[in-house]
Amino acid sequence: MDLSLTEQQELLKTTARDFMEREASKDILLELEETESGYSDELWQKASDIGWLGMLVPEQYGGSGSSLTDAAVVYEQMGAGPLSGPFFSSGVLGALTILEAGTEGQRQRYLPSIAVGREIAALALTEPDYGWGPDSVSMRAQPTDNGYVLSGTKLFVHDAASATTLITAVRARGHEGMTLMMVDANTPGVSTRLLSGFMGWVGEVTYDSVEVSADAVLGEPGSAWQPLQRAFQKAIPILCAYQVGGSQAVFDMTLEYSRTRIQFGNPIGRFQRVQDHIVNIINHLDAARWTTYEALWKLDSDRLTDNGVETSIHLAKAVTTEGYYQACNGAHEVHAGIGVMKDYGLTLHTQMSRTLYHYLGDPRFHRKRMAETLDF
Amino acid sequence: MDFEPRYTEEQQTFRTEVRDWLKDNVPDDLANPADSADTTYDDYLQYRALGRDLGEKGWLWPTAPTEYGGGGLTIDHAIVLDEELDEYSLSLPPYYDSGGRLGGASILVWGDDDQKERFLPPIFKGEVRTWQLLTEPNAGSDLAGVQISAVRDGDDYVINGQKIFVGSSHGAEQYWTITCTDPDGDRHQNLSWFIVPAETPGLTVVPMDLLIAGGEGGAGTGHKNTIFFDNVRVPASNLIGGENNGWQVATTHLELEHGSGGTIRRNRLVDRLFDYARELKRDGQPISKDPEVQELLVDVFVEAEISRLFGLRNYWMRHAHQKLAHEGPQSSYYRKTSGLRMGEAILKILGPYALTDDPKWDKSDSHMEVFQRSSIVALHPGGTAEIQKVIMSRRLGIGRQVREQAGRLA
Repeated sequence: MDLSLTEQQELLKTTARDFMEREASKDILLELEETESGYSDELWQKASDIGWLGMLVPEQYGGSGSSLTDAAVVYEQMGAGPLSGPFFSSGVLGALTILEAGTEGQRQRYLPSIAVGREIAALALTEPDYGWGPDSVSMRAQPTDNGYVLSGTKLFVHDAASATTLITAVRARGHEGMTLMMVDANTPGVSTRLLSGFMGWVGEVTYDSVEVSADAVLGEPGSAWQPLQRAFQKAIPILCAYQVGGSQAVFDMTLEYSRTRIQFGNPIGRFQRVQDHIVNIINHLDAARWTTYEALWKLDSDRLTDNGVETSIHLAKAVTTEGYYQACNGAHEVHAGIGVMKDYGLTLHTQMSRTLYHYLGDPRFHRKRMAETLDF
Repeated sequence: MDFEPRYTEEQQTFRTEVRDWLKDNVPDDLANPADSADTTYDDYLQYRALGRDLGEKGWLWPTAPTEYGGGGLTIDHAIVLDEELDEYSLSLPPYYDSGGRLGGASILVWGDDDQKERFLPPIFKGEVRTWQLLTEPNAGSDLAGVQISAVRDGDDYVINGQKIFVGSSHGAEQYWTITCTDPDGDRHQNLSWFIVPAETPGLTVVPMDLLIAGGEGGAGTGHKNTIFFDNVRVPASNLIGGENNGWQVATTHLELEHGSGGTIRRNRLVDRLFDYARELKRDGQPISKDPEVQELLVDVFVEAEISRLFGLRNYWMRHAHQKLAHEGPQSSYYRKTSGLRMGEAILKILGPYALTDDPKWDKSDSHMEVFQRSSIVALHPGGTAEIQKVIMSRRLGIGRQVREQAGRLA
């Protein structure tokens, strides 16, 4: 038993933290909040240069083939920002989906350019009848002589606006199961629109008689659901690590504020009502951290056949998503007025905790999956 | 990271040795009731005998130093012992005892050489069992406000007063206690910590009538007691850590009691609950198939998993000599409060079955009914849930002007 990071992971963590301080300070993130994509070309290039987009891409496709825990250590630091931009969408979920579902040719076609940030993938799965289960995809792909025609709407697509390739989930006629299509975002008929509101970089994608060739199908038509679930299993704990980083940052800033904010002649942290919030936040944070890293450990140590791994992943996602949300709520209770001033920085997290709340399944969704994996 | 113990060849050899020994030495008819108050005196004597046998092999307190009667073994050995005893639903020690885990730890840190030689070997070998005498009628959460007085008289101290919520059924050979030696002295600098032999004249033990006796971790405690001190004479050589230094001595065992010891054990209650829910029927199908029941079962599972991970983290931190801060009281706080929430969920899941230990209708060997009571009682021992939050805040540096450090551990 050893719950510490390896020396190499400590190095990754320090490097990531330094990068965040240098390139993605609060002021920069506040500026990026106003952009459609959540990143600047300069930031994207620098992050690509240090290998952040290729961590989960195997070496043979131009990545570094890091372990999930290695990647999670970096994502935790990104989440502390919270760093916006399609890092997770492309470098984790996109890459893993192509790796799990794609043919060898497709891996060679997409992964090297994803690994260096030249191409940006985003998963377009959810629709107006929102959900993450196998029945939530109903958009049709109509076969033609040399390919398919896609028509329909994808909704709440993360990083839709910055994607160069939209991995689009459809029902292809003649195939029972789900099919994934690699759709170039510039294809005529594809249009993306950013959604406004208390969420960041989530969009609507409409497909108006979009023609794609037969080789746009990722893997085999009708058989994408299982590989996509395998990609989810690996991607979810990394998203959790990002949320752990966010929760840690929220905890740190709240603790610091409670030490320095004076009211009634005392730092407010001396008041037990305030302490209650801080204790709640660190309980959520630590629960999120250890459920997440245990799931990562199970995945990395190849416990995929172990009966506990699926449950661990659902547990991590349910606990961590809920934890980040509640950490932000607690932080607002402690910060009161200053917490809602945008330049203070807390609201970056608050909005991110909401944006990620339903992504890849909300806590209720994962609790229901746990009821299945625990075999009641 | 690695979340489970890795077993070396040496450990597996040790495991075989332990397994064989336990097979030969754990009495077949040793009862292990859900409510430890149901443990008979005969069974208690068997537990004690098993403790002495384990002590002789150095397995009762495996990581305690050999020079004081401990096993001198590594944490790897302790893990194996713990796992193998768990197979018998036993723990180390196999009965309630505050000597090795708490008092012994304080003596190791604060006792002088003579005291270590006198007091530790009987504890670590299981020759004595030791109770802690801390709480008083007017000193619960505010332990530093204890009023029981110890007055120096020649080579002795004379102790007068009362302690409550002490020990368990069937007595002990030795107590340790914290007393006030300077009623006018500054807070935290007026207390003294003593070892008191149980047969000293002037001590009266009266059982308390409680909802259930329950403690944190380890073997069940049976019932709790009130102990009256009436001019109890204790030799000054039994004063540990020096006069008016008792609070410092106490911080060591309080730290351990506040959850810093950690645990690698799973909560078997969850498995029992799942089995029960698969067995009970409503509307012609197992209640575990009801989606609302499933939601509650998952709630229980999530709480138990978080509790397990906090305990596991603390276990690792302690044995890897990581610096602890809020983690001990956090684990304790979470276990206490989640226990109450789990109790509520179980009540909703099982209905009135959660409340009966009737041997005809209860199918959990009393475990569910006992948990309904013990989860309430568990809120106070070792510091209430609220006190755990107070300590967490101090450790995080917001409770007081100066951030509080964790108590010193050996």
